Amino acid sequence: MKKLIAVISLVLAQLLFVSTVSAQATNSNQLSDPRVRQALCMAIDMELIKSTLFEDQIIVADSLLPNGPMKSPNLPDYSYNPEKAKALLAEANWDNDRVLDTVFYYGDQLTSDLMAAIQGMFADVGVKMTYRLLQGDVGAQLNSVPEDGVNGPAAVDYDLGYGARGAMVMQEYYNTFKTGLNPQTPGNPKMDAMIEKINSSADPEVLKPYFFEIQEYQMNEVNICPLYYQKLFIYESDNVDRNGGAYGNAQYNYNWDITNWKVNTGTMQTNTGPTEFFEQPWYNLGLWIHNKIVFDRLLVSGGAIGTDIGVSMAESYEMSADGLNLSFKLKPGLKWHDGTDLTVKDVAFSLRLAMKSPQMHALVGNTVSSIVGAEAFANGSTDDVSGIKYNIANREISIEFAKLDPNVLTTFTQFAILPESQLAGIDPAQLQQHPFWQFPIGSGAFKLEEVKMNDFAKFVPNEDYHGGVANFDVLAYPSYDGDGNLIKNAAAGKMDYGFTKNVADVGALNAMSNMMTKAVDIPYTRMLWIMQYPKP
Amino acid sequence: MKKTSLDKKFDKLRFLEENNKLVSKDQNRLISKFLNNKLAVLGLIIFSIIILATIFAPLLTSYDPIRTDLRSMRQSPSLDHWFGTDNTGRDVFSRVLYGGRVSIFVGLGSSLMAALIGLAIGCYGGYKGGWVDVIALRISEIFMSFPQIILVLLLVSITGQSLTNLFVIFILTGWGGMYRLSRARMLSLREEEYVQALESFGISTFTICYKHMLPNALGPIMVMITLSTAMFILTEAGLSFLGLGVPLNVPTWGNILNVATDIVVLQNYWWMWAPVGIVISVFVLAVNFIGDGLRDSTDPSQQG
Amino acid sequence: MIFVISFLVYFGLDLTPGDAVSHMISPELAATITPEKLEAMREAYGLNATFLERYWIWLTSCLKGDFGYSMAGGVAIKDIMVKTIPATLELSIVALIISTILGCSLGILSALKKGSATDSGLTVAGMAGVSIPEFFFALVAILIFGMHFQWLPVGGRLLPHYETLLDRIPNIIMPSMVLALALTAGAMRYSRSSMLDVLSREFIKTARSKGLPEWRINILHGFRVALTPVVVLIGFRLPLLIGGSTIIEQVFQWPGIGNMFIRSVRASDYPLVMMISLMYVFVVLTASLLIDLLTALIDPRVRLGKE
Repeated sequence: MKKLIAVISLVLAQLLFVSTVSAQATNSNQLSDPRVRQALCMAIDMELIKSTLFEDQIIVADSLLPNGPMKSPNLPDYSYNPEKAKALLAEANWDNDRVLDTVFYYGDQLTSDLMAAIQGMFADVGVKMTYRLLQGDVGAQLNSVPEDGVNGPAAVDYDLGYGARGAMVMQEYYNTFKTGLNPQTPGNPKMDAMIEKINSSADPEVLKPYFFEIQEYQMNEVNICPLYYQKLFIYESDNVDRNGGAYGNAQYNYNWDITNWKVNTGTMQTNTGPTEFFEQPWYNLGLWIHNKIVFDRLLVSGGAIGTDIGVSMAESYEMSADGLNLSFKLKPGLKWHDGTDLTVKDVAFSLRLAMKSPQMHALVGNTVSSIVGAEAFANGSTDDVSGIKYNIANREISIEFAKLDPNVLTTFTQFAILPESQLAGIDPAQLQQHPFWQFPIGSGAFKLEEVKMNDFAKFVPNEDYHGGVANFDVLAYPSYDGDGNLIKNAAAGKMDYGFTKNVADVGALNAMSNMMTKAVDIPYTRMLWIMQYPKP
Repeated sequence: MKKTSLDKKFDKLRFLEENNKLVSKDQNRLISKFLNNKLAVLGLIIFSIIILATIFAPLLTSYDPIRTDLRSMRQSPSLDHWFGTDNTGRDVFSRVLYGGRVSIFVGLGSSLMAALIGLAIGCYGGYKGGWVDVIALRISEIFMSFPQIILVLLLVSITGQSLTNLFVIFILTGWGGMYRLSRARMLSLREEEYVQALESFGISTFTICYKHMLPNALGPIMVMITLSTAMFILTEAGLSFLGLGVPLNVPTWGNILNVATDIVVLQNYWWMWAPVGIVISVFVLAVNFIGDGLRDSTDPSQQG
Repeated sequence: MIFVISFLVYFGLDLTPGDAVSHMISPELAATITPEKLEAMREAYGLNATFLERYWIWLTSCLKGDFGYSMAGGVAIKDIMVKTIPATLELSIVALIISTILGCSLGILSALKKGSATDSGLTVAGMAGVSIPEFFFALVAILIFGMHFQWLPVGGRLLPHYETLLDRIPNIIMPSMVLALALTAGAMRYSRSSMLDVLSREFIKTARSKGLPEWRINILHGFRVALTPVVVLIGFRLPLLIGGSTIIEQVFQWPGIGNMFIRSVRASDYPLVMMISLMYVFVVLTASLLIDLLTALIDPRVRLGKE
């Protein structure tokens, strides 16, 4: 009887399948066959993984884009279906002896458990898989792009990769699928055209159908296998009271009103302190505590990045209707932590430095390279950027853009302004190598008072801060998300605030009577990358 | 020719010699001495039990060590799962058994290989000297200039993580000591009269070196093999703890113990780490007992 | 010797995939950085020169006393070492003192009560000490003393404004005790056999025949003589100790050189990996030279020079 059902479902699956796809491998790699990729997606029981390993703290994903207004209603269904997966594999003549080499770069226990679980589920449909943690130079082993962005061969040697894409703006999810930019998916003109469209406007309503289109296209092709949407968890000890301050996407900078928080002990302990140096704030925009509290921006975002944009160091700002002209007027009396004045000249300096520095977040990179004259300045043919004009006495700066950047305001909520007096004469290619990053001077709500690298960094309130003066110190230890020290430190009472994306940490933190956690929905998708280029 | 009684005596001795009777008597003494050391015997018994258990793992458990079953995750020890199940519902008892295979293979295998290489070069180098010895000595000096864990870490970072790499790395870091030891033994044995006698008979270098002198150098080497087995097993566990050991998909003792890095597991699910931690400690302890017993029975100067 | 090693290590590290630039880019953002920008960074860091050129530049500047800069952040390696080595030394020396005092007194106790239950108990305990993986021991200690009872801090070395020695003691207790565990066993074994050796010598028998009290014989005569070889051995263990603290530093978030070494190995930060491993080599070579000298001083039978 069981056999009969199996046979029937197999036949049914085949019928269903024929009606949706008619594709085959496009090169010597069997993973270039969409049927195989669909089968792999359907072999993973994400609902079971969610309720067991992840303790229901994740959202199962059905495309790269997070749930929300941009989510297409017509996505194909790849939920758990082992019988259909087997049928698809049979049809694609899957080589049962092939062992899929899967790589990942998170060193935590939960990730290796997830890998083991997926290995078991693949085995159920007859696909062999092994997994390994990438060590050393992860970037090169994971993201090297083939020289031929259409035919390959691949520049990296894995079959599947487990990783994440976190984005502030929706375009970031798809821009890396452009021909010549993606390590796993061969370029194709259709995709390039769709990427062009989603970057063509700053108006969400205009972009919506374009996002639907690219989303549906990608999921029919199964270039990637989306697994789940990650939540971010902010934790706080009962020593801290936000006093009404908002909780938001803590990986970036948002309006959290830290100057009004109440801290009972007078010192707020946290992690993400420096180990060798303070990382420059234009790359991992809000990851480190110093990014958030030592530096300040012209604008400030709401908890969901890019929404409710207000002013921070700017008194006001103005954007032209076509989105190509943006001007700011600074608040009066702004000062750096060393007491010198902060002027629009520093803003212009920061923009120019960012044009030439290679290690830059894509959001910032996009904005600064869209400025008129940026290209000529970056390649050294001019000494100044014609698109930036400022007047120190009036505290005004205006920026002219050569092409539309749909996310320019979001950029200025994240783009830290750096002091020209400290960094003058710096080699932009070696921005991070400047001694400034041993003891950075900013204009944010806290200033650095003492640092022992790899031990602690102590920050005290900035008396001149335009947004009010906090009445507590911040002490940061050198530990970061997923390095295993968080729970140890929290259990020992050494952690008052922080954020984590690790679900296992959340359970442990919630079990502590003095800690509370708050889940925040963030645009952050974990997925399996599938190598579709031929093997190197 | 008429045989004298003295001739007969010598014939008898030669007969015994040719049948290795004399040697075996000598070995018996060593063995009986070893057996008198209670701890060493206890160590040997534990060692054998653990090795046999890992070899016959399929008879002892029906669970597949890498088969996950999310529906029965984190179960505490029961009749079904003697050591409970881990985060993905794998049977911990089965993982400890199968993991032992790999860990013991890596530890024992690489120290035996290292001993083989060290002895081969050390015997020849110590006895004959020459350029082989000079080069080997320099190379071993290079390897021995590093603290062991630093060298292993450095090599792991250069070669990348895999079981084979780790095996090779352990041999690379282990042969130097074996080489030095056997070389030193050979240097002193070289001056002994029986060696000079053999030389005067014109017996080939190779035979003298490996047949006649080697057995006399084996005692300390045996001790060193046990010590380095113990050390390699501990190093494997330490590397896995740093996430730089055998890739996580292969169950080894170190990899099973790796869950203890997760403080949640450490606090709440003792069965996932305590049994394997104890098994590692007991196994290494047994190996150390054996090594101690061997030292006492082969090296009279170390008695106490 | 050190030159050969430096060349080999440099060569080996050069073979590993990727370089400091691609490491600087985090995996989640890497796909968003254009190849041209990466190339510009490589050029700026001098990574595009040939292998020998880079080695030569590195070597010559090293000899001039310029140890170069850590690639990940451009911090002078000299500064990193100046900051991290004291932390490791502090930990190692405390562990060495604990293990020596504990090991010697237990070893001598063991020797004086040779064959008793105390003796065999201590021998087995010593063996257990070297058989338990040290990080396992460390984790259990953290679980019990750091988290369950909260008696001791779980990690770190300094706190702001806690600069006096007294304030720092709680932080060092756990890591140094764990580190001392394996060493104690070694010191115990050597001091036991050394003491046994001394007790069987003529002058002890003479002292005994003179009717001196047993404790005076043991302490004043036996102990002093027995300790000499033990001291040499302890000196010999210092480099081992410095290497061995790597994992412990990691577990206890101790900001020492071992911690930094693992970090730099993971980051394929060649200049830092090079300098730290060469420093280890230097320490080992210096220590073995010192031991040769010491042994020669103590025991006139040992000649310096070739075998």
